Amino acid sequence: MRRKVAGMLASLVLLGAVMVGCSTGTNSTAKKEEPKYPTKPIEITVPFAAGGGTDLNARAMSEYLSKEWGQPINVVNKTGAGGATGTLEVLKKGSKDGYSILTQSVSAVSASFAGNPNLPFKMEDLRFIARLAVDPLAYVVKADAPWKDLKEFNEWVKKNPDKLTFASNGTTAIATFGVIQWMDSIGADFSKAKLVTTNGSGDALPKVAGGHIVLGVQGVSEVANLVKAGKLKILGIASPQRSPYFPDVPTMEEQGVKGITVTQWYGVSAPAGIPDYVVKKWESAIEKMLNDSAYQEKMKSILVQPDYLNSEDFTKYVKEETEKFKQIAKEKGLIK
Amino acid sequence: MEAVSMLLSGFVEAFTPMNLLAALIGALVGTLVGMLPGLGPTSAIAILLPLTTVLGPTQGIIMLAGIYYGAMYGGSTTAILLNIPGEVSSVPTCLDGYPLAKQGRGGAALGIAAIASFVAGVMGVIGLVFFAPLLADQALKFGPPEYFALMTLALTVIVSLAGNSILKGLMMGVFGYLLAMVGMGPSGQIRFNFGIDELSAGFDMISIIIGLFAITEVLKGMEEKQDAISIGKIGSVYPSISDLRKSSKSIFRGGLVGFLLGLLPGCSTAVSTFLAYDLEKKLSKTPEKFGQGAIEGVAAPESANNATSSAGFIPLFALGIPSSPPLAILLAGLMIYGLAPGPVLFEQNGSFVWTVIASMFIGNIMLLVLNLPLVGIWARLTQIPFGVIGPVILVLCFIGSYTVRNNLLDVFVALVFGILGYIFHKFRWPVVPLVLCYILGPMLEQSFVQSLSMSGGNFWIFIERPISLSILIASAILLFVSLILIRRTKLRAKEAVGSEVDIAG
Repeated sequence: MRRKVAGMLASLVLLGAVMVGCSTGTNSTAKKEEPKYPTKPIEITVPFAAGGGTDLNARAMSEYLSKEWGQPINVVNKTGAGGATGTLEVLKKGSKDGYSILTQSVSAVSASFAGNPNLPFKMEDLRFIARLAVDPLAYVVKADAPWKDLKEFNEWVKKNPDKLTFASNGTTAIATFGVIQWMDSIGADFSKAKLVTTNGSGDALPKVAGGHIVLGVQGVSEVANLVKAGKLKILGIASPQRSPYFPDVPTMEEQGVKGITVTQWYGVSAPAGIPDYVVKKWESAIEKMLNDSAYQEKMKSILVQPDYLNSEDFTKYVKEETEKFKQIAKEKGLIK
Repeated sequence: MEAVSMLLSGFVEAFTPMNLLAALIGALVGTLVGMLPGLGPTSAIAILLPLTTVLGPTQGIIMLAGIYYGAMYGGSTTAILLNIPGEVSSVPTCLDGYPLAKQGRGGAALGIAAIASFVAGVMGVIGLVFFAPLLADQALKFGPPEYFALMTLALTVIVSLAGNSILKGLMMGVFGYLLAMVGMGPSGQIRFNFGIDELSAGFDMISIIIGLFAITEVLKGMEEKQDAISIGKIGSVYPSISDLRKSSKSIFRGGLVGFLLGLLPGCSTAVSTFLAYDLEKKLSKTPEKFGQGAIEGVAAPESANNATSSAGFIPLFALGIPSSPPLAILLAGLMIYGLAPGPVLFEQNGSFVWTVIASMFIGNIMLLVLNLPLVGIWARLTQIPFGVIGPVILVLCFIGSYTVRNNLLDVFVALVFGILGYIFHKFRWPVVPLVLCYILGPMLEQSFVQSLSMSGGNFWIFIERPISLSILIASAILLFVSLILIRRTKLRAKEAVGSEVDIAG
């Protein structure tokens, strides 16, 4: 009880502090040799809207780490252009001392690099610190759609590829790659399918549920609410194992659709040039965090699956994925 | 009937001290952030989200929801008294609220704003209680062509907000749309950045609003060298019977418009306040009074934005679709507690849902009580001499525009638009069409592109779908009616004043 009152009062104080307009000084430099980290508040930029998957992961992480490290960690959302806006902002204006951190998803990294050769930044400008979690893609249609299962849907798509509309954040967003890998696997003609560019899952899924767009390919965590509300049905989930959150839904592979490698993931990165000891500190803290039972509970509540990769493996993973996406984009003529 | 008994037990829960305190804090913080330009409910909820770890789910969500709908009350205060909209959705409130304040009737305007907010807030919550699952289904019927038609409908408002020249209004509208295009387009291509990296992130709405309204107001005050901002008396905050009679219908109409639009994901409060304002102007017997201080012009948008914000809870609770940025963060709050929205939420966590809903009734009453007597305190702001309040407003403007994205460019943008706004004012170019197109342009473009992708480039998609067709026909009729009304209004105003006057803006 007293704790709650204190919490509420704290909320007022916190807000008051913000209103005074004190901003976190992201540009000040820390001594690079000093191994103590963090000694001041950290700012985590999320290049997507608040409330989305990347945001939820960033907030859960910042909450854990600020307790662990005893320094406030502020999450800031800077949206736009499939994540490029926020990323660019951190690279341009953020400091390279570990106090400007990015939380990204596959969309802002591999898919973005593959699809946009003219991005104002390069992969080398980023230092990939760790992968936090994955959120496999679910293939969803309207709940009362005429197809009973994926098999029937596959047959329909093979016959009517020109009638297939699908929602994706852009020509080279991950949903597009998910649709390509699926259509290639079942031998349907992707070039006839129609892409409807949507602005994130909050824009795409109601349109799929309303039957305006035939197919949605989004992370399990994103489709869960509308599936549970009985407005969407999942035909399959692209993951090696069944999702712990929908154990009754077969994987794509179980249903004979092989070769879908695209998955939604969330990870942490920073501007290149960030000191190695800071990267180490993050790696070990994140690894510890992902094994923390309270944190795991939190991951369950936001429906993503913790899946750790350290800086080296994560960098390799991102590079390979980007190459694969680039190849697909080239083959299908996604980039003009 | 089951809903009623559930609601009653929700009230029992909501009246426990902790829950009452949560609602009160939410309402207070909401009022405060609504008043300050730049710091909106989105950032306030985001800042307070970490507290959800300390508070229980019920208190946490009650408080966050309180901030969200409380902000809709607060937005009106500075809009009316200082011509500074704290939120984009408060822009229409300025149009008549500020002239009223100048006439010494600011109190009545504030009173009507609070009452309208209250009535609409309660209307919205009642809709939430009885029709949530039913209405949520209807919202799904809106696909891209329907949104396109809806945006077209909203754009017809420009004609009636254009002031003395429709041509000027349209030009300002195009200018607003061009501004909205700066930055990255719907599929990631950069437009109009003129090689300047800073511009590739686009302009921020709030800094433009702060510039065009608040900074322009300070500049005007400097020029007039008198108390342009300090208005002196604001009069009684309790509106007269005739004010109430005049605005009661507007409140209900505004509430209805706001409620229906609030059901649609992505339809912001700004869209509904503009539409509600325009609807009142069209239905009014004296449209020439709009923009000169018509009390209905305050009542309608104020009730519309509250109804929209309450109605937003329907798709959120029933389907888990957040229809605006603050609701998206609220959804995050629900998810953190492991409360997945949807019909399941009502079944499995019924007592939680109904307690939150009941607290929204209580919160609205608190806001009314807070706002009516407290209005006197806020209103003193206007009695501070301009030499003091002017610089203070400027400082607030800079802080406000900076904090939105922590970006110095936004402060510069606000300043430039402040000067532009002053020039527009001097040469009687209406700024409202600019703001409107800035908001609607990107939404119109996106739904247009989406529709054509669905149809493979076939324009029939807008005609062959019944909902979209009906809205498009309604827009055509409205456009026609507006043109006639504008002509009539101009004539009447000329008769009354003897010369051409600005009708609005």
